[in-house]
Amino acid sequence: MSLDNANPVIFEATQARDVSPEELDDDVVDPFDCREIFDLIRLINDPEHPLTLEELNVVEGSKIQVNNDAESVSVEFTPTIPHCSMATLIGLSIRVKLLRSLPPRFKVDVFISPGTHVSEEAVNKQLADKERVAAALENSHLIDVVNQCLATRR
Amino acid sequence: MVIWTSMIWTNAIMCRLEELCKLEAHQDRAWYVAWSPSGKLLASCGGDKAIRIWGQEGDSWVCKSVLSDGHQRTVRRVAWSPCGNYLASSSFDATTTIWSRKGGEFENIATLEGHENEVKCVAWAPNGSLLATCSRDKSVWIWEVTEDEEFECASVLSAHSQDVKHVCWHPSKEILASCSYDDTIKLFKEEIDDWTCFNTLQSHSSTVWKICFDVSGSRLVSCSDDKTVKIWQEYLPGNQEGVVTTGNDSAWKCVCTLSGYHHRVIYDVDWNHLTGLIVTGDGGDAIHIFEEEEGSDKNQPSFNLKVVVNKAHTQDVNCVTWNPKIPDLLASCSDDGVIKLWKYHT
Amino acid sequence: MAANFSGVLQITDLNDFITPSQECIKPVKVERRPGKVGKIRVDDDGSYISVSEEGSETKLTKAQITLNDCLACSGCITSAESVLITQQSQDELYRILQQKRDEKDENKKKVIVVSISPQSMASIAVKYKLSTRNTAGKLSTFFKTLGVDYVFDTTFSRNFSLIESGNEFVRRYREAETDKKALPMLASACPGWICYAEKTHGSYILPYISTVKSPQQITGSLVKDWFAQHNNLQPDQLYHVTVMPCFDKKLEASRPDFYNDIYSTRDVDCVITSGEVDLMLEKEAVVLSDLEDRCLDSFLNCEGDHEMRSHSGGGSGGYLEYILKYAVKELCGRELADITYKTLRNQDFKEVIVDIEGRTPLKMALAYGFRNIQNIVQKVKRGKCPYHFVEIMACPAGCNNGGGQIRPDTGETASERLQQVEELYKSLPCKEPLDVCGVEEVYEAWLGGRQSEKVQQLLHTSYHEVEKLTNALAIKW
Repeated sequence: MSLDNANPVIFEATQARDVSPEELDDDVVDPFDCREIFDLIRLINDPEHPLTLEELNVVEGSKIQVNNDAESVSVEFTPTIPHCSMATLIGLSIRVKLLRSLPPRFKVDVFISPGTHVSEEAVNKQLADKERVAAALENSHLIDVVNQCLATRR
Repeated sequence: MVIWTSMIWTNAIMCRLEELCKLEAHQDRAWYVAWSPSGKLLASCGGDKAIRIWGQEGDSWVCKSVLSDGHQRTVRRVAWSPCGNYLASSSFDATTTIWSRKGGEFENIATLEGHENEVKCVAWAPNGSLLATCSRDKSVWIWEVTEDEEFECASVLSAHSQDVKHVCWHPSKEILASCSYDDTIKLFKEEIDDWTCFNTLQSHSSTVWKICFDVSGSRLVSCSDDKTVKIWQEYLPGNQEGVVTTGNDSAWKCVCTLSGYHHRVIYDVDWNHLTGLIVTGDGGDAIHIFEEEEGSDKNQPSFNLKVVVNKAHTQDVNCVTWNPKIPDLLASCSDDGVIKLWKYHT
Repeated sequence: MAANFSGVLQITDLNDFITPSQECIKPVKVERRPGKVGKIRVDDDGSYISVSEEGSETKLTKAQITLNDCLACSGCITSAESVLITQQSQDELYRILQQKRDEKDENKKKVIVVSISPQSMASIAVKYKLSTRNTAGKLSTFFKTLGVDYVFDTTFSRNFSLIESGNEFVRRYREAETDKKALPMLASACPGWICYAEKTHGSYILPYISTVKSPQQITGSLVKDWFAQHNNLQPDQLYHVTVMPCFDKKLEASRPDFYNDIYSTRDVDCVITSGEVDLMLEKEAVVLSDLEDRCLDSFLNCEGDHEMRSHSGGGSGGYLEYILKYAVKELCGRELADITYKTLRNQDFKEVIVDIEGRTPLKMALAYGFRNIQNIVQKVKRGKCPYHFVEIMACPAGCNNGGGQIRPDTGETASERLQQVEELYKSLPCKEPLDVCGVEEVYEAWLGGRQSEKVQQLLHTSYHEVEKLTNALAIKW
């Protein structure tokens, strides 16, 4: 299989976040913040490279929005190249990770950073179609790859 | 994001939706609920690959049967035959299964194969002799029910350019309507030797998830990922309004768009054939009920919001459906796996 | 453009949601060169330039996907289209003709052969308001003026296709007493149907498909083997073009089964459709009716029999009719005079039932178009197919209605045009394959008799299940 982008630019990963005592205390109501969402998705592996989405700058803390009142999370991601054929798979991995990690009442939107992919609209539409996502997750071959992306390497 | 006008609010508080019961129906998301033609049974299906049949015992609704051996993957849709003796189920496993109801038991009598992948919807024609299915393979299939309970493919329609989400039959004519990820609604009829698409309805700007005819069949309601509900009016050839038609075919025109009410994708819409009320279920966990304003112009009708239940379910509302016999009884189901029954109070 | 393929192939196309970058999912082998690559730059013209760390630039080559890759892949079928356009089109024929003109060495000039199907002749005849016979003669002149050396009619090859189908059927019928999978026999002449069966139904259905090659591919063998030998030519010195009513025939010609590895040549090098011939006529500004009427070439010298012939039993070759008559004769020793078709669910689904003394009646059916194919396939899968033979064709109404036929003029409906094409197609006198001059001779001289091993090699083929795609990176969900 050829690589879409054989030589991506690599970015430095952030350090693990300090966990405050309040966060460990189950009695304290603890709203989600962008950094927590980022921590959930930054270690997702790229389907093609032995690198994380953070290292490839596909996901960034600044491109995550959390609204605890509306119980919604929105994540923008930036494919490494504008015609990356892995964009839907990366988006799917982010979506699956958040579906598995967040309370089910949360509404999750995952989309491509505006102007960074040739098929932005089509990819966004597919990622937003929960029926297509549900069917995809019943495909054993596809779910294997998603799980590989979500497996922690270190 | 919340766009409330005071007008809507005053309308809305006049009516209410009372939750009658809550059924923990499926272990995964509940995709669809369908009332039997008598209105006495409710069939549900979901991500747990099972179909459940619910009925009333005393004051409560209980699960009468579980049909769990029909499909390998999510059961997306269930549909009762007009006589109520058959149930069809369509699944992501690319098949449609026909169940025959004998006494209280359901027997799997046929599996319809042919779609390339997920079958998204199945619908019986009002006379019970035709069945329509649609799939992510972009095609709509029409099946003929033979006398010996065989199902033969009568037509394969490749009119849509994308995933077909839903098919439904006209209440009285042999017309089939479908809607798709390609943002369009299409109407089909039988010509000399095969079915053909004779009309394409365009106005939605994203996936059309569901369509439903009104009782007369001269109107159609659609709901979409574009967060709007649209009302379409049929114009017969030679209509007074001067709407252009082709040949003997009617024209369909979007005469009303309900926007601003829904904040996320609208998955389902159902037109009550007894009361004319329109109910929607959306990805914002809400149920909305709309009523046409009395004396509103058919060419430019107004629909008012009568009720909104914002947290109708704890997750997306996938299906809302009016009971065919009891005018104010509504069933809904959700990603939370729950079925709810509601009573509409005016 | 995808609309050119038969509906059967369009349905197997799963490329809903293929973005431009994802159009083809065929894994491409990448040759990695040693040394570090610095970065890749996209130039204004869209070409990719690799810039090494030292700053030297190399233009990267695009991955090439051949039609064979497309055929062997269970993904989309329509991306095959762009490949077809470059490999099999009237432009490619023009290129070959130009190459021949430019070639100075007489010995290196290719011998160009065009074989025209009777359905294409009927389509062109209707468009130019000529008889089928005149059309054949004038097309012969047209092609020869362009530099083509020989022009044949594929009807001659269809004799062999029919005879072999009859033999295979009777053999299978006898085997059916012990082998449940011997029947039904399903026709093999339609490449749209074959491609669909291989990609979608695989092992369930393939054993039932007749192994007999289609008339196009038998013509291919005749031209590249028999005709080549008789003219002291190697297969690769011949360039063989067929004119067909159908786009799917291009896929058929590209099958690896019809490729000669030794001479690196295909039995049919290029398929052009009736419509593409029409485009050539337009391009050359030729009024077909003004051209001289020449005789078509024939593979054998048949003194006094230059009459064009056809076969009875409809525009798709008449397989059912020939097989039925032949089987009744072989099994009961009587001639079947009339065949009565009973129309079933629709005009494209008809059956024939013939009583056979002391056995269950022979049941055969015509099943054209995707919906009727479906019902047959599902019945075969469930072991409930009531027929002994089914003439399956992908296109509704059969080959005269192929996707490669010339479109109706403005103001004319598709069914009006089809009716005219069918009438002209039927206008030729029919002759039983075994009575056709030269057929026996070809069996003897070329193949070494009716039962020889060469018959199996040159007139039969095999089918291959296409494995379902499991590369998740390529799954279109």
